[in-house]
Amino acid sequence: MALLDVQHLTQYFGGLRAVSDFNIQLEHGEIVGLIGPNGAGKTTVFNVMTGVYTPTKGTIVFDGQNIVGKKTHQITQAGMARTFQTIRLFTKSSVIDNIKIAYHFRMSYSNTDAFLHTRKYWQGEQMVDDYAIDLLRLFHLEGNADDVSGSLPYGAQRRLEIARALATKPKLLILDEPAAGMNPAEADALMEMIHWLRDKFDLTILLIEHQMRVVMGVCERIKVMDFGETICEGVPEYIRNDPRVCEAYLGKGA
Amino acid sequence: MTFLRAHRTIATVIAFVLAYVVIKVLNLADILNAYYIQLIMLAGINIVMTVSLGMVNGFTGQFSIGHAGFMAVGAYTSAMITTVWLHTSAANPLVAYPVFIAAVLVGGLLAAAAGYLVGAPSLRLKGDYLAIVTLSANELIRTVIRVTEVLGGPRGLGGIPKLTTLEIVFVFTILSVVLMRNYLFSSYGRSMKAVRDSEIAAEAMAIDTTRQKVFVFVFSAFFAGVSGGIFAHLLQFIHPDNFSFVKSLEYLIYLYVGGSTSISGAIVGPAIFTLLPELMRGLQAWRLVIYPLILILVMIFRTEGVMGLKEFNFILIPHRQRKEVSA
Repeated sequence: MALLDVQHLTQYFGGLRAVSDFNIQLEHGEIVGLIGPNGAGKTTVFNVMTGVYTPTKGTIVFDGQNIVGKKTHQITQAGMARTFQTIRLFTKSSVIDNIKIAYHFRMSYSNTDAFLHTRKYWQGEQMVDDYAIDLLRLFHLEGNADDVSGSLPYGAQRRLEIARALATKPKLLILDEPAAGMNPAEADALMEMIHWLRDKFDLTILLIEHQMRVVMGVCERIKVMDFGETICEGVPEYIRNDPRVCEAYLGKGA
Repeated sequence: MTFLRAHRTIATVIAFVLAYVVIKVLNLADILNAYYIQLIMLAGINIVMTVSLGMVNGFTGQFSIGHAGFMAVGAYTSAMITTVWLHTSAANPLVAYPVFIAAVLVGGLLAAAAGYLVGAPSLRLKGDYLAIVTLSANELIRTVIRVTEVLGGPRGLGGIPKLTTLEIVFVFTILSVVLMRNYLFSSYGRSMKAVRDSEIAAEAMAIDTTRQKVFVFVFSAFFAGVSGGIFAHLLQFIHPDNFSFVKSLEYLIYLYVGGSTSISGAIVGPAIFTLLPELMRGLQAWRLVIYPLILILVMIFRTEGVMGLKEFNFILIPHRQRKEVSA
């Protein structure tokens, strides 16, 4: 059974049809890309999937349960974690606290333990500190653990955002333009990282990306959207040569 | 010292106890008269009010401007219980103090219930709704008290036994500050700051933001209610206008001048601004000019408040020594 099964997803904003009849199935372990010109509805699809909007029509079945109408935090707890197009770290918190915050829902001590700093509190804190530092080490951020996250350089903030998403123990990782603002060398490192993430954390990855080099290099399957419609779908070589895709990006006659 | 560093709760308690001893000695040596002692007690109450307000406004990033309303609920509830129950047996401290403490806690619980009624619907919304709702709730509570004859109505409620002592204020202040500090330095406290920094990201990181916001708001109202109870049994006379939104604004001023994102700031702010007007008494009418001038200057030169993001050492929980980081 597919890990994610989206059927006939349609999203209206008032009279504007942002996404129409969108379908996607993701199998466990796949890396799939979602591309299209600006305003095609890609981020809207992500937002609907993660519960930011409730879809006008359609069903979303994730890991065997219907998640339409669920709140964002419930969907994340079910195993779908995301990063944002514009980085949204907890900028005033330390780097390690960003990870710990994402771990919060798996913490086992209660409000009372927190008020009284019981033994359970100290055990929980020790455990999460170990967990967080180990995770940061994988992303080469352990040296900055106690820095304010807003002060990190751009590339490190991107890495931290991915590490933070992983702290929720996702099955599906959704990356919204992970290579935005990266130079070719950084983008190469990112491509390597995406493959490594999939293998290391046993993930399925869905990503939106504008840098074609990254999309073509990393995705096994690509879906192209334009004006809310899915116009094309297939392996990278097929997408590259499809006239409809050229038309969507460059206009008719190009 | 290592022991104190490892047990910051004890360090916090010692800091407060030292302050208490100094004040008590000065009092016994007649350097601080009863008037100043009363002022110090008010400062303690204001500290708890401000620290609890800071939990909502500073650390969770929700703008509440009706904190005095919850204080009123606690003050009137506890005062009603003690005046009705104790008016004959106030002389016996063995009866009076347990009843007083119970009354104050009941006042806190009712304030928390009021906090839930106000917070649960309005904290679901993002944006400035909370400010309007809390402001209205504050005035609503005040007006209801004004028209309720049993509570003394517009004449106020008098004859409250004087049960608040310097010791009570100290114990209450220490307990409240330590409890709230502990909460802040926990996974829940980190979630509060996450909600403040980016509610969208917090929600995407599996935090039930509404629930977290409502819980903070409710326990903040609880501490405001308890403060109200202590306050009522200090002044022995309470009036609905003691708890108008002007009072709430005072707490906002204490908080933002002290530093809204620092517990230490929420201690320093009310401590200074409860005592300062009295220390400037010699300036007579000019103090009404100098007081706002100080506020303006602080806001210009220290936008984040006197303490900014800093905490006193005795407030902080120490970092655990991590095993040495090596790749």
